[in-house]
Amino acid sequence: MTGSKAGPMLEIDRLAKRYGDTVAVADVSFGIEKGEFIALMGPSGCGKTTTLRMIAGLDTPSGGEIRLWGRRINEDAPWEREAPLVWQHYALFPFLSVAKNVEFGLKQRGLPAAERRRKAMEWMERLGIAGFAERGVDQLSGGQRQRVALARALALEPEMLLLDEPLSALDPHLRVRMQSELVRLHRELGITFVCVTHSHSEAFAMADRVVIMSEGRVQQIGAPREIYRRAANRFVAEFVGGNNLFSGTAAAAGEGLLRVEGPFGTALAPRPADVALREGGEVTLVVAADRIDLGAARSGAGNEIEAKVVTLEFVGSSVTVFLETAGGAELRIQRSLRQIENTPLSPGDAVIARWPQDEGFFLPA
Amino acid sequence: MRFAAVWGLPPLLWQLAFFVTPLGFLVAMTFWSVKNFRLIPDATLANWRFILNAGFFRSAYVYTFWLAALTALIASLVAFPAAYTLAYRLKPATRRFLIFMLVVPFFTSYPVRIYSTQIFFSPEGIINALIAPLGFGPVSVLNTPTGTVVGYLVLTLPLVVLLQTFALMNVPKTLIEAAHNLGCGRLRTILTVIVPSARVGLIVAATFTFVLAFGDYVAPLYLGGSKPPTLSILIADQVKSGNHWPRASVVAAIMILTLIVVMTGMLGLAYGRRGGRR
Repeated sequence: MTGSKAGPMLEIDRLAKRYGDTVAVADVSFGIEKGEFIALMGPSGCGKTTTLRMIAGLDTPSGGEIRLWGRRINEDAPWEREAPLVWQHYALFPFLSVAKNVEFGLKQRGLPAAERRRKAMEWMERLGIAGFAERGVDQLSGGQRQRVALARALALEPEMLLLDEPLSALDPHLRVRMQSELVRLHRELGITFVCVTHSHSEAFAMADRVVIMSEGRVQQIGAPREIYRRAANRFVAEFVGGNNLFSGTAAAAGEGLLRVEGPFGTALAPRPADVALREGGEVTLVVAADRIDLGAARSGAGNEIEAKVVTLEFVGSSVTVFLETAGGAELRIQRSLRQIENTPLSPGDAVIARWPQDEGFFLPA
Repeated sequence: MRFAAVWGLPPLLWQLAFFVTPLGFLVAMTFWSVKNFRLIPDATLANWRFILNAGFFRSAYVYTFWLAALTALIASLVAFPAAYTLAYRLKPATRRFLIFMLVVPFFTSYPVRIYSTQIFFSPEGIINALIAPLGFGPVSVLNTPTGTVVGYLVLTLPLVVLLQTFALMNVPKTLIEAAHNLGCGRLRTILTVIVPSARVGLIVAATFTFVLAFGDYVAPLYLGGSKPPTLSILIADQVKSGNHWPRASVVAAIMILTLIVVMTGMLGLAYGRRGGRR
């Protein structure tokens, strides 16, 4: 064995995949630690699934390297790898019973029949599908099939589990349950989960770290909170949702502050050290929707912008309030249902949107 | 309902006129008798009794059944690697071209193709000419059961490759990937996932081969030399020697019955108990 168990378990190094002239993955690098829950997230066509498939060996990289414990595995056949995948549509074998599906991988590894059956039963019990052992997979619901697919993969007791959009084929209420179940499984098993998803809510709810991809490149890697609070670029800020992006012209405001003026009005925010900004240049100010307060009158503190309520959107216990400024810019503010009930708002109301200066941050335009 | 009546009726009438009616006539004729080489409508079981008790019929039946089954087996096995390559290993453009090439044999009529194979297999044919300098042969294929089977394969092989290719192309790709992902190499994947998934198509292809070979007249006549006779040769013999259409009809009726039983059995095998799940 080359390589030690000291470094990251899996290293994706300048990985690329081209199909003729189309580039699925342009240049992707990141590392995965043992036991981590990593989400690969991005819009469709961003290369996340192709990256996952290359880790599984189902697609061959056209450039770069995948290393497992320091050893290059680019050329290993998929059946030589220990990286079971849970498919979006489960890919269960319809000609086998549930139990035989779960046993499938163990059988290929030459486990004796009794041992196989015992292990498969263990995993079916763990995932709550032991009652369906002798049924055909076509007699199961989507949620049950998902569990069979999970049991089939986990029965191999791998050090890494790959999941391709594991929740997107499920009903919304099942999705939430399965989501917390995946988190629980991950915690109990202590193995690495690599999960592809296009939903930021799924990724942020489950993963320790999220790799955000777009057009075959990594846009940002980080803990969900970090990404949510500090988007690295405009794409991420828009993709993760819940952000206001104000465009305008930058001007010095002294004491490490920068002023930005645009259709939304005027606001101040800390002058960033890492982003090269010119005074008089175009910038984007990002303010999270849940960091903006609403008031009836100016208080003279922080950033304050006059706006009119356009509409309110109720999603469960949270409410998104859409505002429009005099200059025609759109603002969104997230409130809890309770806050809205305490101070009712209706379309047409004139309000003051207010947030502390250090809650906003700048990105290059 | 009206749609079904307007568009469904013509083919139904066609089948009724040109298939069901002659079939009914054929069955009726099995009960007729022949006097002085002339057909006489009758209601006798003599023809059935004669044919079923005839030793030559029984051995011809067993022989024909065996050759057709053997052909189905050989064609299925020989076709599979080709179908696998066509379905999975080729670029779409190459696959399209080769599928086209598999249809080309059907441009010429089947007897013509059988005649042309005689060039290869006749005693002074191409094969013997090729192997003689190497110190082999001469081999005689013409007028042997081997010749008959070769003829059956000429008839059926392109069709079997086509049917198998379509069957394999319909196997979901993710199932094959799932097999790889769970530790199956290429060969294992064929046995554990591809064959079970394509089962219906593979069985239909084999059944088709059996049906075509079982009733074929040309191959056993020109390549098999009618010795020993197959059932189709027997039918012709009954008519030629003694104008005995009723006896020929009995043989034909038994053949049709056999094919119905075989088809039912094979389709039951294909569709029954979804995948023979254990």
